[in-house]
Amino acid sequence: MKTKNKKEKVEWKRLDNASKIFPAISNNKDTKVYRISAELYRDINPENLQKALDLTLEGFPMYKSILRRGFFWYYFESSNIHPKVEIESTNPCSAIYIKGKKNHLFRISYYKKRINLELFHALSDGAGAIWFLETLVFYYIKINYKDELGNSNPSLEHGASISQKSDDGFWRNYTPDIQNTKIKRKRYTTAYMIKGKRIDENKMKVIEGAMSVEKILNISRGYGTSMTVFLTSLFMYSIYADMPKNKRKKLIVISVPINLHRYYDSLTARNFFTTMDISYDFQKNSPEIKDIVKYVNKEFKKGLEKENIHRKVVRFMKFENNPVIRIIPLVIKDFFMKIASKFNSKSISSSISNIGRIKTAEEFESYIKQFSVCASARAPKITFCSYRDRLVITFTSPYVETEIQREFFQFLSNRDIEIEITSNM
Amino acid sequence: MKYCRHCKVYIREGRNRCTLCGNVLEEELKGGSEDVFPEVPPFFESHLALRIMIFISIVAVVVSFGINMIFPSNINWSILFMFATISVWVGLIIIIRKKYHISKKIVWQVIIISILAIFWDYKTGWRGWSLDYVIPIACVSAMIIMYVTAKIMNLSIREYITYALLDGIFGIIPVLFIIFDLVKVVYPSIISIGFSIISLSAIFIFQGEEIKAEIDKRMHI
Repeated sequence: MKTKNKKEKVEWKRLDNASKIFPAISNNKDTKVYRISAELYRDINPENLQKALDLTLEGFPMYKSILRRGFFWYYFESSNIHPKVEIESTNPCSAIYIKGKKNHLFRISYYKKRINLELFHALSDGAGAIWFLETLVFYYIKINYKDELGNSNPSLEHGASISQKSDDGFWRNYTPDIQNTKIKRKRYTTAYMIKGKRIDENKMKVIEGAMSVEKILNISRGYGTSMTVFLTSLFMYSIYADMPKNKRKKLIVISVPINLHRYYDSLTARNFFTTMDISYDFQKNSPEIKDIVKYVNKEFKKGLEKENIHRKVVRFMKFENNPVIRIIPLVIKDFFMKIASKFNSKSISSSISNIGRIKTAEEFESYIKQFSVCASARAPKITFCSYRDRLVITFTSPYVETEIQREFFQFLSNRDIEIEITSNM
Repeated sequence: MKYCRHCKVYIREGRNRCTLCGNVLEEELKGGSEDVFPEVPPFFESHLALRIMIFISIVAVVVSFGINMIFPSNINWSILFMFATISVWVGLIIIIRKKYHISKKIVWQVIIISILAIFWDYKTGWRGWSLDYVIPIACVSAMIIMYVTAKIMNLSIREYITYALLDGIFGIIPVLFIIFDLVKVVYPSIISIGFSIISLSAIFIFQGEEIKAEIDKRMHI
């Protein structure tokens, strides 16, 4: 008889460039966990969800790995633990990665009509997680509504090979020959820090506002810009409205993640993103929304130029490849990454993240109501995604106060947009 | 759904107050109210026992100092008592902190016990018992305990192999005690050295590739 554990091969993978920071800086206050939920029209059947999960994992072997500490770097190690779907019993975005504990870096839970995928950011970014959730929902509907679907039998678009999905997009597109990776940075200034009363147990307050994509697009077009630029501007406007008078000389800086899949040919389901900072000085510029939009629009154009992005990516890769940095023990690396991240967070007020448009097979559209996304937050932050004509904008905040959220949604509702609000507390 | 006249938004759950502005909501307008998020019960920290133990330790140490000052004796036994309490706590903290990793915990215990033993031996007039008995015996028993727990808990080899290796290397250290003539009783040291060499050679002969893969993985730059 063969003993199962004896000759199993150790499979492990390095963390990609963007993932390296997360294990070092995650803590109970900011868990670096985010959640994407699919809301169906009918209650979830846990047995079929489990079957769907088992099938989905076949296509995403990376999700079966656990995160471990080596002497110099963290690494992913394959594991035999079998992930189970659970009824939702934890607060949104509660910690997944706990130092030394051997568990998966994601969690699938369900409650009533919702399926939640929560994952630790080191495993994947929003683009990869959506792919996983789309696959999970696909299998779930296919299994659960087999009889109703009858003859219409959509097949799953895999989109990439297993090895392409587990690929490191940063390595694949690294061109070390670029010498000048200096990025002209504005002088280091501390940004405005949104203050508030923390919720007990470091819980996150999640407020989701669901509305029509088309109507928001219309408003954005009215300002001559895209939806992301408009929502970023409106976010700044709402923060400013809540800003105490004596702090108004500080800059409001919003960090915006950039999906690198759009710039490089990589089909990875792992992390492949970078960020840009958009700042606005209300002291020197007008607080009118149309002026904010105009300015933010220009900043977005600059930030999204391929050349700037590539330089930034190469710069981070060079840093990671620096021989001195590579031979520093992990304990010390962790310590410095924590300090660097503290320092960096002082220059950012908040962030806004567009997870994008989620697609499913046409036949399944009558089963799915909406998708929504939220993420652990150090200060009130926005994440949003859309499905058909339903846009869900989510505020996640560690604070009790809801002033910024109220300002934001009232601005839209005053412009005749019908908003449905959902919250966890 | 209820409607907030102030914010002009619909509230999906059956709440009495608006999520955004806190104003009281009126009756249902359209559809029913839904339950989207579950109620998550608060998480109580169950560390009360730990707190009581810390408190008792402090009280005991303070009382022992008090008694010692009121009724002086030749030996300053209250200091010893304090060190004893601290020793127990150091051991406990290591057990609690490394709770997810049994083999690591065992190696840590060997290190802690060795250090504490040397410290105690030194503080109580160096009779050499720490090197004579404690360290060799700790190393040997750790090797046995590790093998037994690995079998009982059905750990895969890669989960304990590195720590078995580490412990085997520790177990050889008593060679130095014998070479530098630090020990009066040599038998425990000899047993420890012999045990370690046998255990290490077993690891290398039967699990050499595993060890190499583990080291490659853990030490990758």
